[in-house]
Amino acid sequence: MDFLSPSTWEEALAAKSAHPDAVPIMGGTDVMVELNFGRRRPPALLDLTRIPQLRDHGPDDGYLRLGAGVPYTTIIERLRDRSPALAQAARAVASPQIRNRGSVGGNLGGASPAGDAHPPLLAVDALVELASVRGVRRVAAREFYHGPRRTARRDDELISAVLLPEPAGPQSFSKIGTRNAMVIAVASFSLALDAQARTVGTGIGSAGPTPLRAIEAEKFLASEFDWDGAASPSPATVTRFGELVASAARPIDDVRGSAHYRRHALSVMARRAVSWAVTDYRKEIARCA
Amino acid sequence: MRVSFEVNGHEVTADNVWPGESLLYVLRERLGLPGSKNACEQGECGSCTVYLDGVTVCSCLVAAGQAQGRAVRTVEGLAESGDLAERRLSPVQEAFVEAGAVQCGFCTPGLLVQTDDLIERTVGQGGGVPDEAEIREHLAGNLCRCTGYEKIIDAVRLAAERTAAQRDGGGPA
Amino acid sequence: MSGLLENTSTRAIGADIGRVDGPAKVTGTATYAFEHQLNAPAYLHPIQATVVRGRVREFDTRDAEAVPGVLTVLTHDNAARLADIGDAELAVLQSDEVAHRGQVIGAVLAETPEAARQAVRLVRVHYEERSHDVRFSAARTDLYTPGEAEDDEQGDLAGAMASAPVTVDHTYTTPMEHNNPMEPHSTIAVWEDAGLTLYESTQGVHSVRSTMAELFGLDPERVRVIAPHVGGGFGSKGPLHPPVVLAALAARLLPGRPVKLALTRQQMFDLVGYRSPTIQRVRLAAEPDGRLTGIGIDVTAQTARFKEFLEQAGKPTEVMYAAPNRRITHRLAALDVAPPTWMRAPGECPGMFGPEVAMDELAVACGVDPVELRVRNEPGTEPASGRPFSSRNLVACLREGARRFGWQDRDPEPRRRMEDGWLVGTGVAASTYPTGQMPGSVAAVRFEDGHYHVRIGAADIGTGAWTVLTQIAADALGVPVTAVRLRIGDSSLPSASLAGGSTGTVSWGSTIVAAAQAFRERHGTAPADGAEARAGLPDNPNRERYAMHAFGAQFAEVRVHADTGEVRVPRLLGVFAAGRIVNPRTARSQFIGGMTMGLSMALHEDSVVDPRFGCVVNHDLAEYHIAANADVVDLQAHWIDEADPYVNPLGAKGIGEIGIVGTAAAIVNAAYHATGVRVRELPMTLEHFLA
Repeated sequence: MDFLSPSTWEEALAAKSAHPDAVPIMGGTDVMVELNFGRRRPPALLDLTRIPQLRDHGPDDGYLRLGAGVPYTTIIERLRDRSPALAQAARAVASPQIRNRGSVGGNLGGASPAGDAHPPLLAVDALVELASVRGVRRVAAREFYHGPRRTARRDDELISAVLLPEPAGPQSFSKIGTRNAMVIAVASFSLALDAQARTVGTGIGSAGPTPLRAIEAEKFLASEFDWDGAASPSPATVTRFGELVASAARPIDDVRGSAHYRRHALSVMARRAVSWAVTDYRKEIARCA
Repeated sequence: MRVSFEVNGHEVTADNVWPGESLLYVLRERLGLPGSKNACEQGECGSCTVYLDGVTVCSCLVAAGQAQGRAVRTVEGLAESGDLAERRLSPVQEAFVEAGAVQCGFCTPGLLVQTDDLIERTVGQGGGVPDEAEIREHLAGNLCRCTGYEKIIDAVRLAAERTAAQRDGGGPA
Repeated sequence: MSGLLENTSTRAIGADIGRVDGPAKVTGTATYAFEHQLNAPAYLHPIQATVVRGRVREFDTRDAEAVPGVLTVLTHDNAARLADIGDAELAVLQSDEVAHRGQVIGAVLAETPEAARQAVRLVRVHYEERSHDVRFSAARTDLYTPGEAEDDEQGDLAGAMASAPVTVDHTYTTPMEHNNPMEPHSTIAVWEDAGLTLYESTQGVHSVRSTMAELFGLDPERVRVIAPHVGGGFGSKGPLHPPVVLAALAARLLPGRPVKLALTRQQMFDLVGYRSPTIQRVRLAAEPDGRLTGIGIDVTAQTARFKEFLEQAGKPTEVMYAAPNRRITHRLAALDVAPPTWMRAPGECPGMFGPEVAMDELAVACGVDPVELRVRNEPGTEPASGRPFSSRNLVACLREGARRFGWQDRDPEPRRRMEDGWLVGTGVAASTYPTGQMPGSVAAVRFEDGHYHVRIGAADIGTGAWTVLTQIAADALGVPVTAVRLRIGDSSLPSASLAGGSTGTVSWGSTIVAAAQAFRERHGTAPADGAEARAGLPDNPNRERYAMHAFGAQFAEVRVHADTGEVRVPRLLGVFAAGRIVNPRTARSQFIGGMTMGLSMALHEDSVVDPRFGCVVNHDLAEYHIAANADVVDLQAHWIDEADPYVNPLGAKGIGEIGIVGTAAAIVNAAYHATGVRVRELPMTLEHFLA
C-alpha cells in the first residue's frame, strides 16, 4: 500500500488522476474503520489533510462554500447561522472526537445512507463540487446519490467543496436513535423552506438505499403552506405531510429498527419539523414587520 | 514508510510503518506508549483518545502518515514533566482517583484526555465550570463498562472546580 | 465465625480509601496483558470458520505463506496434540471438525499484525459443509433436561394455579448478550526452557495455570501466568476460552519468542462466550391480597452441541418468595453455536427478569402496591431448602428505597403522567445474589524492611481487589494500610481462587485473615525481619447450616415518548443489603456499575444471530450498543448496615454482581406504569410502544 501525501490541491488532483484507485482519506472516520477491520486494502491512501483550502469556508456567489474537509466541529461552532440544518446534523454526528475529524466531504465520499450530513444537503438543494485534472464541475446533491455507496463522483475526481444556498427560511434536522448518544440513526429527516421561491425541500436519511427526498411531500407542503402569514396548517395537512414523507422512504428491517418503525418515525419527525418551521417562520415575519 | 512526529514534547520516529497502520498502533506497539487503549478500532469507544495538534481525536482512526510532523499528546503526557515515577498527577488525574472514577482502568486514559480538553476549553479559556449536560456531551464518545459513569462525571466536576479555584486564587487548590 | 476482626479496632475496613492502583491507571502505566514490553514479539491472527458446521477438507496456504513477514500458518495438521481434559471448547486445532461459525480453525503467525491479518485473508479453506441448526426456541422438540438441574418441585403448582383466585401466567424472554469488557481478551505467550509464560487478561491466574498445564502436559510449576491489571471481565475472562490455548500452541512453534494475540472486538463475539438467551414461563398463583400460593418458572436456554453450559435462571425462584407450591425447571436447546459462558450474575440476572416483571403484573392484578406485595411474600426461611437465612434484609431495602425514591406519592394507575410529550412512570424490582465462597486460596504474610508483604494470586479485574485486600490485611494484622505491601495477579504467588461468583473479596479476604492470624500466632506483634507465615482458606461450617444471600431493591423512573416510543431512564435508585461494606468508594462503583449494565440490558443489549449464517450480525460496538453516559442521568446506590456473623470472618457479602440483578425488571415495570404497555421481552425498544 502506498501513502500519498500531497501538500497542494494541484498535487492531490494529479495524484488522484495517476492513481484513480487511491482512496482519499481526510478524518479517517470511515476509511480507517475499513482498514482496521481488514475489510479493505486499497493500493494507496491519498491523504488530504495537508491541503489548506479543503478547510476553508466563506461566501461564494450567493452560496456558502464549505471546503470538503471542514470538520463538523467548525460547522457547529462557526457556521450555525449560515447552515442551520447542516449544523444541527453536525451536532448529531457521533462524538466530539469524531466531529473534530469528520467532514461533509468525507460523508459524501463514503455515501453511507446513514450519514447525518446527507438529509440537510438534499433539503437545502446544496451543490457538490467535484474536481479533477480535467476540470471542475458542480452537481446538485439531489443528483449526487446513485445507489448504495455509489455516487456521481468519477474515479479521478475529488470532492472539493459543498455549496450551500443562503438560508431563505426555516431549516431543521432531526434524528431518532435507540441510544441517547453515539448512535447511528434509525431514521433522520431534514426540512428547509425557501420563502422567496416558496418551495419546500426535504431529505430522508437511513430509510432507503440512498439518502432520499420526499418530492410529493415537498410539493404538497409548498402549496398548503401559508407563505404570507404562517397560519398554523390544519391537523389534516400536517398529518398528510407526515404520510407523504413516510411513503417516500424505502426502508428495510435491520438490527436498528424495522421498516415499519422507520416510516412511523419519519412521519413523526416530519410533523414536528412543520411545527418548528411555522414557529420559526412567524419569528422571521415578526422581525421583518 | 518512516513517520516522525512529536509525542508529549519529544520528537519520535517510527520505521517500517505500514501505510494503513493507525496512530494508535504506532504509539502502542512501536513507541512503547501503551497508555492509549485499543478497544474497538472504529471510533465508538474513545479509549484511544489523544490530542493531535491540540484537538482530541480517536487515534485508531488517524492513519500513521497523517501524524507526520504533527504534535501528539497522550495520557502519558498529562502529568507534569519529570521522571515518570515522581511526576505530580494533573488535577484531572488526581480527581479521577479521588472520586472513584477508575475501575478496570481501560477506558480511563481516553476519558482523561477528553476531560482535560473539556476543562481547557471551559475553565482554561476563562469560562466557568461546565455543567452536567456539557460534561456528558463532551464525554459522549467515551464508553465505560464498569463505573456507570456517575463517578466519572463527579471527577470531571471536581477537576474543573479545582482548576478554576487555582486559576482564580493563583495557588494550587 | 467470631473473627479476629471483632477483637481489633477496625480502622481500614469500611474506610473510604482511594484505589491503590489508581495512580498507575491514570498515568497510563498500569500494564495490561498485551502491554508487557518483551523483545521481538511475533503477532498471531486467528483463522475462523466461515461455515457453521462441517469439517475442513483442505487448507490452501500458499498465498498466505508468501506474504512478507509471515512466519508460519498454524492448523490442526501442525498444532501440538493436547491432553483431552473433557472440555471440547479448549481442544483447539485438535481435529478438522467445525462446530460453530467463527470457530478457530487455524492462525497465522507473522512479524506484524498486519501481515498476519493479510495472510489470514489469503488462506483458502475448503470445507465439507453439513446442515446446521441455530434456531433457539422453546417449541423445539429436542429440548433436554441438563444433569445439573433436575426439576425442582414442591407441592402442586398446577393445582395451585387451577384453584387460585388470581394468577399470572406469561412468557418472558431475554436475548443473547455479550460481556464486552473494554479490554479485549489478550495473551502474550512465551515458551522458554520447556516452560510456558502467559501474560493474560484473566479473572484467575491459577485456574489458567492449572488448565494450561493439564492441556499441555506440563508440571504446573513450569507454567507462569501474569495478570497485574485486567481491563474488565464480567465473566468472560473467568473460564478459559480458545484464544489463550491458540497463543500457547503458536508460541510452541517459536520457542523463545513472545507471541502476542489480542482479539478484535468482532472476534470477541465468536470466541469468548456470551450470556445464553432465555425463555421463561413464569406462573404465579395468589390470594386476592397478593399472598402467593404457588410460584413457578420454566426456563429454556441454549447451549453448544459440543459443550454444555446451563444458564440457571431458575435459581432465584428458590430463594425469593414464600409459597407452598413451587416448580422450577430448566431445559436446554443444543445448537450449532459457540458455548455460552458466565456473564455478570449468570442465572440470577436473567432469572430475576421474568419473575420480577410477573410480580409487577400480580401487583396490578391484585391492586396491591408492588413494594407491599413483595413484603407480604417475605419467607421466614429459604423457601426451597428450608434453611434459615444467615441474614436477609430485602424488606429493609424495599422500605428504605421507597423512602429515598419518593414512592409513597405514586398513583398506581398507569399512563397518568405526561410531561412535555413524555409519558412518565415508576417501577420497582428486587435483587438477590448468593454469598458464595470458593475453596483453594492460600495467602502468605512476610515481614521485611518494616513492611508486611501480603501475597496471594488474586485478580483485580476492576473490582478493587488491590485496595480492599490491602485494607483487610491491614486490619487483620492490626497495622495501618501504609504498612501493607500487597502482591496479586501472578501465579508464582500463593494459589488463589478466581474472581467469579462475587466470591473474590470474601474468599481471598478470609484467607488473608487466616494468614495474618497464623503470622501473629507464630511471630507475635514484634516480628523479626524475614518472619513469614501462610494459611489456607478455613472451612466455614455455617455454610451448611445457613442460606447465604445478599438482597436489594431497585427503583426506576422511565420516560417513554408518546409519539416516537423513545425510552429514557432519568432515575435509578438501588438499596442493597450485602453485609459489611469493606470500602464504600469501590463498593458504590460496583453497585452503580452493575445497575448501569442492567439499564444497558434493559434498553440496548441484543446479539442478533442470523440463522442462515450462524453468526452475530451486530458484532461491534457501533451496532451492539452498551449504555453510554448520556443514558444515565440520576443513578444512586445505597446500602443498609447489615451485620452477618455467619458468612465469613469479614461479615461481608460479594457485591460485584447483585447490582445488575433486577434492574431490567424495574425499568420494564416503570415503562408499564408510564404507558400501560407491558413489555415481556428484552431489550425494550421504541418499537414496543408503537400503537
